[in-house]
Amino acid sequence: MSSSTTRRGDRVRSPRRDPGTTDARPAARRPLLSRVLGVQPIGWLFGAPYLVFAIVVFAYPLVFAIYMSFFDYFFSAPGVEVDKPFVGLDNYIAVLTDPAVLQSFGNVLVFLVINVPLTVVLSIVLATALNKVVHLRTFLRVSYYVPYVTASVALVGVWLFLFGGGGLVNNVLGPLAPDPSWLVNPALAMPTIALFVTWKQLGFYILLYLAALQNVPQELYESASTDGAGPIRSFFSVTVPGVRQATVLVLMLSTIIGANLFTEPYLLTGGGGPNGASASPVLIMYQRGIQQGHPGFAAALGIILTIAVLIVALLQRRFAGGRDE
Amino acid sequence: MQRRTRIALVAATAVAALSLAACSSGGGGTATDAMTSHGPISIWYSNNAAEVEWGKGMVEAWNADHPDEQITAQEIPAGKSSEEVITAAITAGTTPCLVFNNLPAATGQFQKQGGLVDLSKFDDGTSYIEARSGAIADQYKSADGGFYQLPWKSNPVMIFYNKDLFTAAGLDAENPPLSTYDEFLASAKQLVSSGAATYAINPSPTSEFFQPNFDFIPLYAAQTGGKGIVEDGKATFANDDGYAVADFWSSIYSDDLAGKEKYEGDAFVDGKAAMAIVGPWAIAYYGEKIANWGAVPVPTENGTPADETYTFSDAKSVGMYSSCENQGTAWDVLKFATSEEQDGQLLDITGQMPIRTDLATTYSDYFAANPDYEVFGDQANRTVEDPTDPESVAMMQALRDAYTKAIISGDGDARSALDEAAKKIDSLAGQG
Amino acid sequence: MSRTSTKLSRPQTILRAVVLGAGAILFLFPFYYMVIGSLQLTPDTSVAGAFPSPDNITTANYEAINSRINLFAGLINSGIFTGGVVLCTVVFGVLAGYALAILKWRGRGATFALVLLVQVVPFQLLMIPLYVLIARNYGLSDNYLGMILPFAINSTAVLVFRQYFLQLPRELFDAARIDGAGELTLLRRVALPLVRPAIVTAVLLTFIGPWNEFLWPFLITKDAAMQPLAVSLANYVTNVAASTANPYGSVLAGAVVLAAPVVILFIVFQRYFVSTDVGSAVKG
Repeated sequence: MSSSTTRRGDRVRSPRRDPGTTDARPAARRPLLSRVLGVQPIGWLFGAPYLVFAIVVFAYPLVFAIYMSFFDYFFSAPGVEVDKPFVGLDNYIAVLTDPAVLQSFGNVLVFLVINVPLTVVLSIVLATALNKVVHLRTFLRVSYYVPYVTASVALVGVWLFLFGGGGLVNNVLGPLAPDPSWLVNPALAMPTIALFVTWKQLGFYILLYLAALQNVPQELYESASTDGAGPIRSFFSVTVPGVRQATVLVLMLSTIIGANLFTEPYLLTGGGGPNGASASPVLIMYQRGIQQGHPGFAAALGIILTIAVLIVALLQRRFAGGRDE
Repeated sequence: MQRRTRIALVAATAVAALSLAACSSGGGGTATDAMTSHGPISIWYSNNAAEVEWGKGMVEAWNADHPDEQITAQEIPAGKSSEEVITAAITAGTTPCLVFNNLPAATGQFQKQGGLVDLSKFDDGTSYIEARSGAIADQYKSADGGFYQLPWKSNPVMIFYNKDLFTAAGLDAENPPLSTYDEFLASAKQLVSSGAATYAINPSPTSEFFQPNFDFIPLYAAQTGGKGIVEDGKATFANDDGYAVADFWSSIYSDDLAGKEKYEGDAFVDGKAAMAIVGPWAIAYYGEKIANWGAVPVPTENGTPADETYTFSDAKSVGMYSSCENQGTAWDVLKFATSEEQDGQLLDITGQMPIRTDLATTYSDYFAANPDYEVFGDQANRTVEDPTDPESVAMMQALRDAYTKAIISGDGDARSALDEAAKKIDSLAGQG
Repeated sequence: MSRTSTKLSRPQTILRAVVLGAGAILFLFPFYYMVIGSLQLTPDTSVAGAFPSPDNITTANYEAINSRINLFAGLINSGIFTGGVVLCTVVFGVLAGYALAILKWRGRGATFALVLLVQVVPFQLLMIPLYVLIARNYGLSDNYLGMILPFAINSTAVLVFRQYFLQLPRELFDAARIDGAGELTLLRRVALPLVRPAIVTAVLLTFIGPWNEFLWPFLITKDAAMQPLAVSLANYVTNVAASTANPYGSVLAGAVVLAAPVVILFIVFQRYFVSTDVGSAVKG
């Protein structure tokens, strides 16, 4: 490696002779290095802190979780021998045949079907409007940001005030109020939670779009305007394509965050009620793995969930925004 | 390239270090040198104001006399997170010597993890615990006959009722008809139909595993004269007694005498519910808000005299953790903290009942000065604890899931749901 | 803002104002309700309770918190914890995001997949092994570093920066490269000034995670003197039911105390959301 690069590296000042060090200057002129590490090997350097972090902090827990999923594992004190037999795929089979788990996957699907489209549409529309607004800009932006920063314990109280049995919504609906009420109705509990999360998280996605909107070139709007496009047409012909990357991100993040739903059913419906209709896979993972001491089962569930979400996220990226590669 | 190798190296070292750590030897359930070792120790206690006050006083008193065996104390939350905190700390070997906040239902798991010291391995271990707590101590014994927890204090749950609301509903507030199921249901209906209260009673309808402790389990204990839901690795409740309790709660929910939805705050304090199932810790708290309250034992199908009625203990125990280096000191501190004097302090400050046989006589002055607590002091003699199996939490969750579905939501037959839950518990017990 | 070259008609502007205003009320309501609830003497969950009533107002909930918690120490600890996390998040996030979006290097796809993986894995799955790793193997319990480490690099931030860099026109970088600029110079001189809104976004978005995080800092330190505000408040809230007159009000007061610094931070920072006109940068 060294000899092949020095020929080309002659023009390079001496401290950079060692080709093993991918330093901060363009390394594109070293063919072998380029062949091994890509056109711009400096990418490795830029990515290094993240990679080191991922290895130092996440590699062990992750590998360990995979390991646990093949054992009837039990967390034990250092040096204590507890029988943790290898069980092969038993945990995976147990997960996939457990009615509570299957129900939770169904629940989270209902959640995503409501939450994700709503999030994408509302956040892009609201961000576009907020971006153009002149008066009360700070006030409006703060308003939309506030649910996102407020601790869940407090929001849950507000939501119960709105959607509780004797809450505001039911009072307004009068005889049209559902019975049993929203959060204790198996058919409505999950949609209500999905609305809650959409509302709570929307500020996050609006911010993402607001930042992305700053980079849509101004002249695109101008030329659209010269072509006689009204605000609605320029929204679809300029804004939507202009923030496509952000849309892919919002789509992916809302799916990932939604699939990891935990706090809301934990707090809002007191542990996944009624009858497990609002239990999420992560809630079940928490109950089985941490509360009940079956981390092998929980790990298998977590890994199945992770793989499923990764597949969905990568599909979203492919279909919604693959062109950047 | 080199970078990649280095990364791989770091990873390999980390993994190797971890597996080494996992293999190193340490103390398990057998008597070890640590058990005779003396020196400074650390303890955790619950963070509620009253217990912190007691804990600080106890630590101060000990530290003043033991300059070489100082205690350092930290607070942990009494709520849901404390079990996960302890589980994680056991796995990492970072537990303190003593935790004055163990949930008896979680003890089986901590024990299986190898996190707890078997107190019966101390020479005077079993004799001390049994002398202090009497026959009730048996409920805190593990299947292997060891004591992995010291039964510390209980909060025997009873029916608190709001006398003003009872009077408003036209019920006798001094001798409320709440003894049999029929009486209780009739009173409950009257409370709600008269408009005196939104709910007759409002146990939490949520799905957490520990919630049966405040609806099914106390009534079942009373109905059976002191049976736990699991005995000798078998669920005991799939029978007429269990069905009677289930039918009782089913009627409460089907007649809308209790809320089916999580209530923010405390329905009893807010005057929304006329009754509550709770232990004596609440006296100080309710007393401020509801001046006119009374307490009676939980109901049974045909009525049981108060002095024969059992209930759930809502107890906390003290655990000694195997990562402790100076277990000799820890054991001395444990005995000091549960001595007659410190138990008296605990009773005085927190209003919770030390689990001792001689409660009423030893602290007769206290009960004379605080008559409200007397009935709880007496009730403390007849309590039932959750199972100490490693699968306790899973067992209670199984019961809870069946209960919320069939009894609270009224979805399906309550009796067959109990049968199903019992079957699941039996299979879980097999695993333990 | 002057950038609206596609002018809205008057009715459209009014419609927009109405929609935004109604939305703002809907979104502001919880915060308002939280403040009102925290000031109530006795909790009033009826509809009337959503409006302030002079004979049911008290600051007792705040006084109770203030007497039980060292707010100042909590704020300092939160500042150290959150500040450390945000600093790492931004610095490493920008680097990784830039590498993933702009640079061509072998392993980029795999790194991106890794970022996604870290984002996807539920924290509950990793919690106990992670704690064992950090507390036992790295010996970082009761240490700010141990608190910060698991949050130090935020995959969300990496994805945000990547998305933002992808949005920048390629010509910008190609032109500068032809001029012989190194990648670090390129990043500092060309890319960074343009992504200021993205940095502000990333700060505001990732700030809230560690700020509200309760479980991890609590696992890693039981030393009350080191605990961030979220931990002390959560500890306080878990047992107020047994000790104060209005437990729900105390919960809400705790939430207000926790949220207030974040809202202030947002108000200060949101004005950096101004457009950096990329179009003119390309031409210039």
